[in-house]
Amino acid sequence: MEQIFFYAATLVVFWFIFNIQTWGLNIQFGYAGILDFTYITFFAAGAYFAGATAMDKASGDLHYVLGLNANFAVAMVVGATAAGVLGALVGLVALNRLRSDYLAIVTVSVGAIAYDLVGNQRNIFNGFDGLLGIPYPFNDILQLDPQTYTLFYIAFAGAVMLVLWLVAHRIYNSPFGRALRAIREDLDVAEAFGKNTYAMRMIAMVVGCVYAGIAGALLIGFISAFNPGGWSPAETFLIWAAMLVGGRANNVGAIVGALLVPVIFLEGTRYLPAIQGHAELVPALRNVVVGLLLIAVLWFRPEGLLPEPRKRFYQLPLSRDPEMVANVPVS
Amino acid sequence: MGDRGLSVFFLAVGFGLVTASILTLAAVGLTLQFGITNYVNFAYGEFLTLGAYLAWVLNWKLHLNLWLAMVGAALLVGLVGVAINYLLLRPFVRKGIALRYILIVTFGLSLILSNVILAIWGANYQSFDVGSQLPFHAGPFLFTPNQVLITLVALCAMLGVHLLLSRTRLGKAMRAMSDNHDLAMVSGIDNNRITAFTWLLSGTLAGLAGVVLALDVTSFQPLFGNDFLFVIFAAMILGGVGSPYGAMLGSLVIGLATEISAVVVNSAFKDDIAFAVLIAVLLLRPQGIMRIAGRG
Repeated sequence: MEQIFFYAATLVVFWFIFNIQTWGLNIQFGYAGILDFTYITFFAAGAYFAGATAMDKASGDLHYVLGLNANFAVAMVVGATAAGVLGALVGLVALNRLRSDYLAIVTVSVGAIAYDLVGNQRNIFNGFDGLLGIPYPFNDILQLDPQTYTLFYIAFAGAVMLVLWLVAHRIYNSPFGRALRAIREDLDVAEAFGKNTYAMRMIAMVVGCVYAGIAGALLIGFISAFNPGGWSPAETFLIWAAMLVGGRANNVGAIVGALLVPVIFLEGTRYLPAIQGHAELVPALRNVVVGLLLIAVLWFRPEGLLPEPRKRFYQLPLSRDPEMVANVPVS
Repeated sequence: MGDRGLSVFFLAVGFGLVTASILTLAAVGLTLQFGITNYVNFAYGEFLTLGAYLAWVLNWKLHLNLWLAMVGAALLVGLVGVAINYLLLRPFVRKGIALRYILIVTFGLSLILSNVILAIWGANYQSFDVGSQLPFHAGPFLFTPNQVLITLVALCAMLGVHLLLSRTRLGKAMRAMSDNHDLAMVSGIDNNRITAFTWLLSGTLAGLAGVVLALDVTSFQPLFGNDFLFVIFAAMILGGVGSPYGAMLGSLVIGLATEISAVVVNSAFKDDIAFAVLIAVLLLRPQGIMRIAGRG
């Protein structure tokens, strides 16, 4: 019974974290059309920086920077900031007047370099072994038993998620969100109307990365360990698949996508028995399915399960309901 | 720099030429395809990996001579490229879908291909049956016999690409399509045929690059081509996208820069040099060093 409780609780927290990530990618791609092919790197930046900020000074076999023994709220801010700064640096190189191919190329390259550096340089975040033993967030004050603490963490992650939902929703419906969608549809037209497309795309990029960073911080706080295995390039595809399946530029769709792809599909197949002598076969085939899903969605239903709602704007009095106009008696 | 420093420098130049040879095969293949289809192929790293594994199968399982296996594998990867274009990418292009979705398709394809390779051949490191490789001195340089052959393969392939582009109608049609797609179409150039041939050529060069890369680093696993992808991007962008001669020059610069820098800084960081070059080019001269008139 207890095991089922912890498993279900883990799934709920993971789902919340995936929701935040999918919304962040949605702000980048769904709202602004930015191709970020290494979204998971910003997630990792958030997780590592938050973890290293919350942990005590490095000692023994563990080597890492920071080690400030800070409160988890501070750690989350540090993680989110680190992800945002990294996103701004990428944007600085690639958002300026370059085609979308270049941005995608830069993100892929940044991902490869970051993975190589963090994995092979032990003194940054303990190399391929990664960080472990991050203290449970706020439990030094709360002193809860494991079961109650897990419930508390669900509430905590849920509260963070709710705030981020409101922010994402607000951005979408603001004039800024409209300008982003105009840029997504045609950058040159938006530019001709006097929009500073570079600054706006940069803001979307950074906000999306901050979402990733917060999600990363929530993950490392929950599982209290993180290493390069948790952010292999395949993880980026998962978020992309969740967003595209659910419906780009639709945050409710993103929730559905995050539930269907990373939670139900991946968890549902996690306990498939490994085939003797071919340990990597089942995970490899799962990744193939994720890739096929990505392509199949674009072919069969490019708008996703829940398409972006068509915006209705106020109509001029002249173009009133045609039926009404037709029924006006001609005198 | 003393005598020893100088000899280390020449060794690095020698390694740089070998790296540049591998890189030029890959970068020219990628840039030709980019120039003609007008989108970049994010599954290109997997084309290299596939070339290495197919050659390994021909070499170990069918006991083919390594160099014959290399040619066979390269042509097979070329055919895979043609098939991927015909079955997957061309239908998407015909649908009139936005560029960014085509990029997502090739991105998804890279996940599929790398995991199919992983599922078939497993995660273990593999290597070719080449016997022992005793290095020998050639002037101030030091090469293994394979490294000399790698350089020769690259030189022959680049000469072939040059003759194709400058002497044949097919090559001229490719250049025309790369320069101005619409103008080439109204001149009666068969878009489908040229695109198909470009995928064949691009895949073949990628296959060759994969085999020689595997020979140079001596062992390979399912992600090894993808790990090399951003170095290829750096060479391609440095040379100017769509310009095969630029890609050759870009490869030479990146190859020499990465290996020579390894003398000065820790060699673990040599790929980071390629990345630094990529960033510098994008910031300072995004059109590349060999800018084609009329394209930006």
